[in-house]
Amino acid sequence: MSLAVISDTMASMIRMATPLMLMALGGLLCQRAGVFNIALEGFSLVGAFAAIAVVQFTGGSVWAGLIGAMIAGVVYSSLYALFVTKFKADYIIASIAMNMLGLGLTSYLLRTMFDVQGAYSPDTIHKLSMINIPVIKDIPILNCLSGQSIVTYIAIALIVVIYIMLFKTKMGLSICAVGESELAAKTAGIKPNVIRWEVILISGALCGLAGAYLSTISVSQFSENMIQGRGFNAFTAFVFGGAHPVYSSLVTLLFGLADAVGIRIELLGSNISPSIIKMFPYVLAIVALMISSYTTKLKRLGVIGHKKKKEKVKS
Amino acid sequence: MKLNENSKILAAASIVLKQIGLILIALLFATILLAVSGYDPFAIVRGIGRSLTSDIAGTVRWATPLILAGLAICVTYKAEVFNLGVDGQIYMGAAAATAVAMALPATMNHGISVTLVFIAAMLAGAAFAMIPALMKVYLGTDEIVSTLLLNFVAALYIEYLVTGPLRDPNEAMNMNASPIISENTWLPRLAVFSPSSANIGIFMAIIIMILLTFMFYRTSFGHEIKIVGSNPVLARYSGMKPKKTVLQVMAISGAIGGIIGAIEVTAVQHRLLPGFNPDFGFDGIVVSLLANNNPIGVFFSGIFFGALKNGGINMERITDVPSAMTEIVTATIFIVICAKFVLPKIKKRIKDKKSAEEGGK
Repeated sequence: MSLAVISDTMASMIRMATPLMLMALGGLLCQRAGVFNIALEGFSLVGAFAAIAVVQFTGGSVWAGLIGAMIAGVVYSSLYALFVTKFKADYIIASIAMNMLGLGLTSYLLRTMFDVQGAYSPDTIHKLSMINIPVIKDIPILNCLSGQSIVTYIAIALIVVIYIMLFKTKMGLSICAVGESELAAKTAGIKPNVIRWEVILISGALCGLAGAYLSTISVSQFSENMIQGRGFNAFTAFVFGGAHPVYSSLVTLLFGLADAVGIRIELLGSNISPSIIKMFPYVLAIVALMISSYTTKLKRLGVIGHKKKKEKVKS
Repeated sequence: MKLNENSKILAAASIVLKQIGLILIALLFATILLAVSGYDPFAIVRGIGRSLTSDIAGTVRWATPLILAGLAICVTYKAEVFNLGVDGQIYMGAAAATAVAMALPATMNHGISVTLVFIAAMLAGAAFAMIPALMKVYLGTDEIVSTLLLNFVAALYIEYLVTGPLRDPNEAMNMNASPIISENTWLPRLAVFSPSSANIGIFMAIIIMILLTFMFYRTSFGHEIKIVGSNPVLARYSGMKPKKTVLQVMAISGAIGGIIGAIEVTAVQHRLLPGFNPDFGFDGIVVSLLANNNPIGVFFSGIFFGALKNGGINMERITDVPSAMTEIVTATIFIVICAKFVLPKIKKRIKDKKSAEEGGK
C-alpha cells in the first residue's frame, strides 16, 4: 500500500471522525455530570437541518449555517434540560423522546418550509475552503492533518479546551462532583441543576455544530434521519474512552477509521456487499461497549484496579 | 372489601383520565403547530376521528404491529430492562419469515406452512434479542446502547439480504426486494375489511395480550419479573435468579418482535422490503408507557396510536399535511409522559396541606 493511499485513508478517517468527536465531547461532559444523554442523535439532526435552512435563507453562507446550527442545538437541547431538571423526567425516556421529536420536526419542517420530501439542497452554497497548513502538508502521512475544514480544527482545539476545563478549573470539578455525588456537591454549595443545564446546553451546541458539519461540509444537503446512528456511536466512544476527552476522541478516530476503510474497500470494488461494509462502525461500537463494560465489571470485582492497567486497556 | 374495590376502580379511572389528558395536550400542541405553519389546524384531529369511524380497517392494520410492539416493550420494562432493540428483532423476524417462506414448497398445507414461518420468525427475533441480553448478563453491558446499535446492524442486514441472497432475480435493477412469497404462507387478511391489509394478526395480538396478562398477574413467573424489576437484591435473597429472568423476558420480547416482522411480511407486504418498518419498536415504547406498562392498557393505547398513524397517512393523502405530524404527536406524548411525575407531587402537596390542617383542628 502506497503512502498516498495511507494518508488519503487517514485524512478521510479524520473527516469521518470530526462530527463524532464533537458529539462525544459534548456527551462526555453530560456523562461526567451524571446526565445520561443519548439525545445526541436528535440534537445533531436538528443542527443539520438548521444549518441547511440558515444557508438557504442567507444566500449560501456556511458560516451563518454553522452558527445557526449551534444556536438551534442550544435551543433544542434546552427543552431536554427543562424536562430532566425541572420536571424530573427519566433521562433515558426523555432522550429517546428528543430523538423522535427531532426526526419528526425536521421531516415536518422539510415539507412545510421547502416543500420536498426526503432530501433538500439549498439553491446556492458557498462551501468553506479547506485549510492547508504550510509545513505539515508536505510531510508524508502527517499531511492528513492538513487540508481539513475549519470545524475539524475547532474540534481538535476543543479537546484541549474541554480537557483543561474538566480537570483544571473549578467548573470541571463541580461537574464531576455532581456526577459522583449529588449530595456532596450540594453540601459544597454547588447547584446540581445549574450544572446539568450547563452541560446539556454545551452538548447541544457541539451536537448542532456536528450536525452542521455533516449537512454543510461533508455533503451539501439535508436528508431525513441523516445522522444515521452517529450519536449512538459517539455515545459508545465516550463510554469506551472513560469520559476522558483525549481517550474518547481517540476512540472516535477509530470509528472514523472503520468508516474510511469501508469507503476505501467500496472504492476498490470488492465483492463484499456495501451494506455489510456499512455495518463496520456499528459492530466496532458494540465490541467497544462490550470491552468497556467488561473492564468496568472486573474493576468493580477488584480483579484489575491499578490505574496503569486501566489506561492500557482503554488506549 | 367493597370500599377497596371502589378505590381501585377510582385509581384506574384517574390514570385513564390522566393519560387522556396527555393525549389532549399533544393534540393541542399539534393543532397549534399546524395553524402556525398554515395548514388546516384540525387536520390531525379530523384524521384520527376518521380513523375511528369510517376507516377502522386502516386503524386495525396499524394497531396490530403497534400493540405487539407495546407488549414486547412492557414485558421487559416490568423487569427494568430497556429493550430498545425491538426494531432490530422485527427485522430479524421478517428476514427469517421470508427465508423460510421461500424455502417451503408451494404445495404444502396452508396452516402448517404459516405456523412454520411464524415459529422461525419468533426464534430469529428471540435469538437476536439474546445478543444484548447475554452481554448484559455476563459482561454488564448497558442494554440501552447495545440494542440501539444492533438496530442499525439489523436494518443493514435486511438491506444486504434484499440486494443479495434473497433478491428477486426477475425484478428491475433499481427495485431491491425479495420475490413475492408463495400464497400458502400468507397470513389471511380480514375479509370484512377488504381491500385493506388488516389481518388476523390483530387476534394474535389479543391472544398474546391475554397470555401476558395471565402471566403477569396469575403466575409466579410474572411475580418474579416484577420483583426482579423493583428490587433485585430482594429477588436474589429469596432465591430467584435475576439473570435468568432478564434472559427470559428478553427472549419473550424478541419473539414478539419476530411475530411483528412475520406479520408485516406474510400479511401486509407479501415480500421482504428494506424499509418496511417505520420504527414500530420506538412507537412501542410510547404505546407501553401511555398504558402504564399494563398489557390490557397496551391494547387500547395501541388502538389509539394505530388511529393516529392511519389518520396521519389519510391526512397526507387528502390535505397535504405531512404525515411526519404523527411522529411529532407521538414524541410530544412521549415527552409529556416523562413530566407526569409533576402531578403526583402537586397532589402530595395538597394532601400534606390537608393533613396539616386536620392536625391543627
